[in-house]
Amino acid sequence: MEEQEFIALLLDPKTQNTAFQKLLSDYQRPLYSHIRNIVLNHDDTDDVLQNTFVKVFQHLKNFKGESKLFSWMYRIATNEAITFINKKAKRNGTTSEAMQTRIVENLRADTYFDGNEIQIKLQKAIHLLPQKQQLVFKMRYYEEIKYEDMSEILGTSVGALKASYHHAVKKIENYMTSN
Amino acid sequence: MKTFKLDNDPKIGTGFKVPDAYFDDFQSKIDQRLQENEKPTISLFAKRKTWFFAAAALFIMALSIPLLNLMFTSSTEIDKDTLEMYLSNQTNLSNDDIVELLNEEDIQKIKIDLKIEDQELEDILTTNCNMEEYIVD
Repeated sequence: MEEQEFIALLLDPKTQNTAFQKLLSDYQRPLYSHIRNIVLNHDDTDDVLQNTFVKVFQHLKNFKGESKLFSWMYRIATNEAITFINKKAKRNGTTSEAMQTRIVENLRADTYFDGNEIQIKLQKAIHLLPQKQQLVFKMRYYEEIKYEDMSEILGTSVGALKASYHHAVKKIENYMTSN
Repeated sequence: MKTFKLDNDPKIGTGFKVPDAYFDDFQSKIDQRLQENEKPTISLFAKRKTWFFAAAALFIMALSIPLLNLMFTSSTEIDKDTLEMYLSNQTNLSNDDIVELLNEEDIQKIKIDLKIEDQELEDILTTNCNMEEYIVD
């Protein structure tokens, strides 16, 4: 089915519920992974994922089709996740960077994390990067999102994204080699 | 020391796990959230809007009372005292002219009933040097 047809089904009150169920089943897993990579913790991911789908449903009527539905939803999820960690950090009287570093340090204690030493080391290396580089690296390395799609999601040029990823890889490789 | 290369080494996963059956009931969670959002919520302002408007109307009415009072009481008609002062001081009307404009009833109304005692009258007549003139008149 063409994306425009699917969007029409989402906007039509008669077919909206069925179409939205399909949207949920198609995107709940990839969006969960995307949000989890940003907020790190399962419970927070659950909150953000719910907020994302509620927002998607509420704003469907405003979706102009200027970008792909996929990019639009990822953009909402990314914004929701970043807003969530910033608010949470503010509530706890700390910065989002400090809060994320603490979560990474305590990953072993997380019930929903079963990574090995190398995975923990990579997470630590990632969280030493500036926020934008972290995001670009996670989306490219873990989620394997194409640069063109990432460009639509983050509103950044493909060239800038490639440069950002390149710098991130260099820093991570240096950290992984020396630690 | 071995140099680490992300592309050469086997792909490293995130290590994150998803709770069992998490996605099985995710749909129902979203449905519930959407239903909650559909319920009409009345904001605090909307709930008390009637009271806000009533209070505002009362305030405006209270402010307008002195203004309205001033508007309705200030008349362009000249009061009696001003008219009397004008007629007696600013015009050449004599008492006779005024009497001509009045009818008998008006004259009776303005007639002052002075009860002068005989003794007082006698005193005035004896002290007044124009007494003869009055008697002649």
